[in-house]
Amino acid sequence: MKPIITTHNLTKRFGNFVAVDRINLEIMEGEIFGFLGPNGAGKTTTIRMLTTLSEPTEGTARVAGFDVRTQADEVRRRIGLVAEKLILYPRLTAVENLMFFGELYGLNRGELRPRIDELLRMVHLENFKDMPIGSYSSGMRQRLNIIRGLLHDPEILFLDEPTALLDPQSVRFVRDLVKELNEDGKTMILTTHIMEEADELSHTVGIIDNGKMVAVDEAAFLKSKFNCETLEEVFLELTGRTLRDSASSRVPVRRVMGRV
Amino acid sequence: MTSGLSQSIYITFRIAHKDLLEFWKAKMLIVTFMTMPILMMSMFGFMFPQTSSLYKNAPMAMVVEDDGSLAIQVADQFKVIASSTALFRVQDFPSYQSARDGILTGTVKGVVVIPAGFTAAFNSHRQATVLITVDDTNPTMASVIYGETASIFRMISDNFGQSIISKMCSSSDPSFVSEPIGVQRENLIGSPTNTFQFLAPGFMALTVVMGTLSGLGSAIAREKEQGTMDGIMAAPISRNTIVGGKMLSQTVRGMIQGFLILGLSMLLFGVKVYGSPFLIVVVMLLGVASFAGIGIIATSIAPEQETAMMMMMLLQFPMMFLSGILFPMDQLPNWLQLVGKMLPLYYATDALRKVMILSASFNQILMDVVVLVLYSVTTLGIAIPIFRKAVTR
Repeated sequence: MKPIITTHNLTKRFGNFVAVDRINLEIMEGEIFGFLGPNGAGKTTTIRMLTTLSEPTEGTARVAGFDVRTQADEVRRRIGLVAEKLILYPRLTAVENLMFFGELYGLNRGELRPRIDELLRMVHLENFKDMPIGSYSSGMRQRLNIIRGLLHDPEILFLDEPTALLDPQSVRFVRDLVKELNEDGKTMILTTHIMEEADELSHTVGIIDNGKMVAVDEAAFLKSKFNCETLEEVFLELTGRTLRDSASSRVPVRRVMGRV
Repeated sequence: MTSGLSQSIYITFRIAHKDLLEFWKAKMLIVTFMTMPILMMSMFGFMFPQTSSLYKNAPMAMVVEDDGSLAIQVADQFKVIASSTALFRVQDFPSYQSARDGILTGTVKGVVVIPAGFTAAFNSHRQATVLITVDDTNPTMASVIYGETASIFRMISDNFGQSIISKMCSSSDPSFVSEPIGVQRENLIGSPTNTFQFLAPGFMALTVVMGTLSGLGSAIAREKEQGTMDGIMAAPISRNTIVGGKMLSQTVRGMIQGFLILGLSMLLFGVKVYGSPFLIVVVMLLGVASFAGIGIIATSIAPEQETAMMMMMLLQFPMMFLSGILFPMDQLPNWLQLVGKMLPLYYATDALRKVMILSASFNQILMDVVVLVLYSVTTLGIAIPIFRKAVTR
């Protein structure tokens, strides 16, 4: 396997606040990378930089071989984004939403029609395709949100908390879908607060805290290294047990640098 | 797949189409969108009328304190003219006090008193005077009622004057002796303008600009807030197409509202368009462009939709009063006129009025056009980099 995402001292500052602090990371082609961290640790900011939504303050990042700063459009063609907030227009139907986003990727209507039908069938929404998605349940919306990110058949899919607030059936469906897509060769970057989900799905886990990567390795290796039963215990061991409600809760923690 | 410029143009239209489709599906929003122009025109047209034509059959008290024949003759002539012009509905009152009470209770809007000694003064070749009292609670209405009453009495007085002159010097033209220099109005257009003719171009400009500003503000802020902007930004498209698409959709909405106002003004208020419809569209588009940049700057720096909307309100409110939409700019103090002339809405309104009412050509509104173009280029030149920066923070 070769690295499909690499970062070198990737940094993002907002004024004096360092949101992401010199991250060096390698994500391998075809793997599911579980990107974990407490609230405000820098996960979303890192994802935003890797998806070209935010410009790095310092350092570099290459995604699918292209620089996120200078070759942003090339990066965008090769990635799909399933953000935590649904990227869908509630007044429009599923087909109208998917047609719109598909066309933004340069796909013409002729190509899009069969692709949309195929994707809707994949997530069992073909019978609801002409309904405004405002009338969908949370699970239906999230399934649609995922296939929206797959319209242009990207090499890499960024999934930001794809199972948050879903019922157990929908959670299972989404997890199976993630596995299925990965088996088809897609590299997945998955951020989640559900440790068992990260443990189940990820080939590699990266933990970020206070803007710094504190661990990157296989979940099994980390559990064994810290003599923990679960990934959640590893996570708490590395990021501490203090609530992260304010900036003052940023506390020094032990750092284990695996592949970083 | 197409590429380059044609693809960017297509995406711009696609974003605009999506916005309009979303708008079309919001039925309540469409109702408000259609109702607002009707309300605005009706409210401002009827609540703040500038001409007497809107005060039809105002109740007026007539008190004749003089029992001479001339007093009765003058009172009768006044009633005939007031009735034939439908300006006043005249009622006789026994005394000034009772008529004055009528103003206080709201049964009459003014009182005409022909005082005792009126006939005697006239017969002894002294000026005979009538007294007029009006309801001063509404200064606009008071001024119109006083003006119209005085004008009727001037007509009656002229008639008497001319008959006196013809008796005194039968060889001369009485109108020449009483008024050697006459004045005749020659209109630039077919008929004199009314309030709505003045208001309609201003409201069209205001609606287009307000629609674009608030629409652009809420469209961009809403997409940022609900997260869909990330979906658009993550696609391999130029940031300019996003700005272009948003501007285009809001322009279409603004233009529809603007023409809705025009249509209603023509249908309900007798507004006429004397100039080129093409020039009207050009001026309205320039009005939109001149404000789009300001709208984009405000929404780019606003953290959420609510703040963006408040910022837009802050911009719109003073513009309504300083750009010569509701009343002529000349009525403002000099320093406020200066402020008003720094706002692009003034130039859009001025150009629209000249085109619609005076049938001005492109060359005759060139100055307004140049200012609007300069405004558009400058504000958009500043806004687009700010927008790019704001969305990639």
